[in-house]
Amino acid sequence: MSKQPLKIMLIDDENIVGKRLKPALEKTGDIVETFEEGEKALARFDETPFDIVVTDIRMENIDGIEILEQVLAKSGRTKVIIITGYATVEIAREALSKGAFDFIAKPFKPADLRGIIERASKELRSGFLHTT
Amino acid sequence: MDMHITDIKNPEINHENDPENMSLHERPSISIRAKVAISFSLFFILSFTVTGWSYWILTKLETKIDFLEIADNYMAEIQQARRFEKNYLLYSTDLEEALEHLKTADAILKQKNEQIEKILEKEHFKTMVTYMSKYHNQLVLLRSAKNDKEKELIVPMLRQFGSQMVSFAGEFVEKEQISAKRMFLLAKRVPLYFMSVLFVLMSFVLMFLARQLLLTLNRFMEYTKRIGEGDFSPILPARKYKDEFTKLAEAFNHMIKELDHKHNVLLESHKLRAIGTLVAGVAHELNNPLNNTLLTASMLTEDFHTLSEEEKMEMVNDVINETERAQRVVKNLLDFAREGETAIAPLEIGKIVEDSTRLVVNQVKFAKVNLELNCETNLPRIHGDEQKLKQVFVNLILNAVDVLTPGGQIRIHVQKDQTPGYVLVTVKDNGPGIPEHIQGRIFDPFFTTKAQSKGTGLGLSVSQGIIKKLGGYIHLTSNPDKGTIFTVSLPTTESASEIMSK
Ligand SMILES: Nc1ncnc2c1ncn2[C@@H]1O[C@H](COP(=O)(O)OP(=O)(O)OP(=O)(O)O)[C@@H](O)[C@H]1O
Ligand SMILES: [Mg+2]
Repeated sequence: MSKQPLKIMLIDDENIVGKRLKPALEKTGDIVETFEEGEKALARFDETPFDIVVTDIRMENIDGIEILEQVLAKSGRTKVIIITGYATVEIAREALSKGAFDFIAKPFKPADLRGIIERASKELRSGFLHTT
Repeated sequence: MDMHITDIKNPEINHENDPENMSLHERPSISIRAKVAISFSLFFILSFTVTGWSYWILTKLETKIDFLEIADNYMAEIQQARRFEKNYLLYSTDLEEALEHLKTADAILKQKNEQIEKILEKEHFKTMVTYMSKYHNQLVLLRSAKNDKEKELIVPMLRQFGSQMVSFAGEFVEKEQISAKRMFLLAKRVPLYFMSVLFVLMSFVLMFLARQLLLTLNRFMEYTKRIGEGDFSPILPARKYKDEFTKLAEAFNHMIKELDHKHNVLLESHKLRAIGTLVAGVAHELNNPLNNTLLTASMLTEDFHTLSEEEKMEMVNDVINETERAQRVVKNLLDFAREGETAIAPLEIGKIVEDSTRLVVNQVKFAKVNLELNCETNLPRIHGDEQKLKQVFVNLILNAVDVLTPGGQIRIHVQKDQTPGYVLVTVKDNGPGIPEHIQGRIFDPFFTTKAQSKGTGLGLSVSQGIIKKLGGYIHLTSNPDKGTIFTVSLPTTESASEIMSK
């Protein structure tokens, strides 16, 4: 496959989430970086933009909605996927209205997230085609 | 009054046989009614005696005055008789007039003999009559005397009897006058004595009854205050006997029992609400270990054949740990939610507070506030009911969380109280504080400043009830700039554990 690998950023303060999802998402040949703190993730984003950001919504200092806003402010084409602790319509609506690509509720299987990322990457690639 | 008493005796509201009233009932009975009746009878007897006595003395005085009047007339007659006797002897005037006066005097004695006898008594009356008749005889003799010589023989006897007659009567009159005067004086003074005795008696009765009534009323006022503050222990006897107030105390005890029951119902329902609040947080808290387990187990099946033994082992361990984590979360909530029978046991206060903070950890996290727990080590144990104490601390922390904006601080300190035998838990926030004008009301049931769906206003009232029941207190220090501090003080089981360790 000559597909260019996507750069994926994963933020969750639960250490196991990153530990398990990194190999799961890398299977498609993409590059995955994991973070447990929102600040560090945003700092890294400043160094190099990512195509896809997957973030937990509830975290100690900076929460998922804030990350969504800052990431979109930095890079409009990045797809942001929100992980919610428990599915509530309001949170989902808020995330979507603020420009999130989609959301996924805990607990989920790696395959579920992979499905969403696949859709996101398709959109990104079709976007590439249009722009180039 | 009567209506009221029959009301109290109504068997439908008779609480004599309630177990909490046993001690009240096991006393001799001296009713207020009896006390009032005794005082009134005393008054009546006293007034009756004094009135009767006054009547008697006035009647006596009346006879005395009558007598004095008669005696006066009598005296005048016999003195007149003697004057005529003298005139006869000196100027040989007519003796008939002397006899005439003596006759009148005799008539007076005969006519009023009853009245006179009453005062003079028979003997003296007889002497009086004798003296007079002797004098009369001498006068008659004198009248019939033919010459001076005969006259001279009679005169000394006549004079002797005459003066005896007058002085005897005079002495009596004088004596009676003195006695009448004395009686007057007494009659004048007795009302004054009566007044003073009445005054003393009245003051005594007033003081006695009023003091008793007021003291008892004050006692009952204290009971209502105590009950209002959530102390639902029954009233115990304060006096050695029972009266109408005992019925009131019995009714009070019945009311206290009912209130206690209602309070427990409120407590349960408020706990259910707290559980509702906590469950939202727990759902989130539970989803994390569940998610970790699901992710790990999924990857384990997916990559089962490519993973190294070591990696597999690590993943299986993660699954075990995360499942245990989920179990802890659920257990903590279940401990709190368990249908609670009050179980008083010696408890580590530090652990209770820590468990409480763990219960609310998600609410704290969602509100983005910081919670800091500072616990002195080696604190004495306290007596209490684990669940209910957790309910108190959960309420206090949730109240603080509710008023804090993101970044706010909650500091909890567990330490020894300055008063020996007590431990202190302070829950301090740096929120907006509580305005002074509502500080007095926040412990009232149903007082809330929150929207209807957010607060019932039962949290603090229920908490205060729980703490009071354990012999502790809960109070608040609030300052608009510095936030709010709730202080809970609880008695320790110190003495018991000290003896055990020796
Ligand atoms: N830490 C605090 N800071 C400021 N106000 C407080 C604090 N704790 C309590 N209050 C005030 O006291 C009131 C009564 O509190 P209480 O816990 O009894 O009821 P509530 O919190 O309103 O309702 P519920 O506990 O049922 O949710 C609150 O409505 C609030 O106005
Ligand atoms: Mg409350």
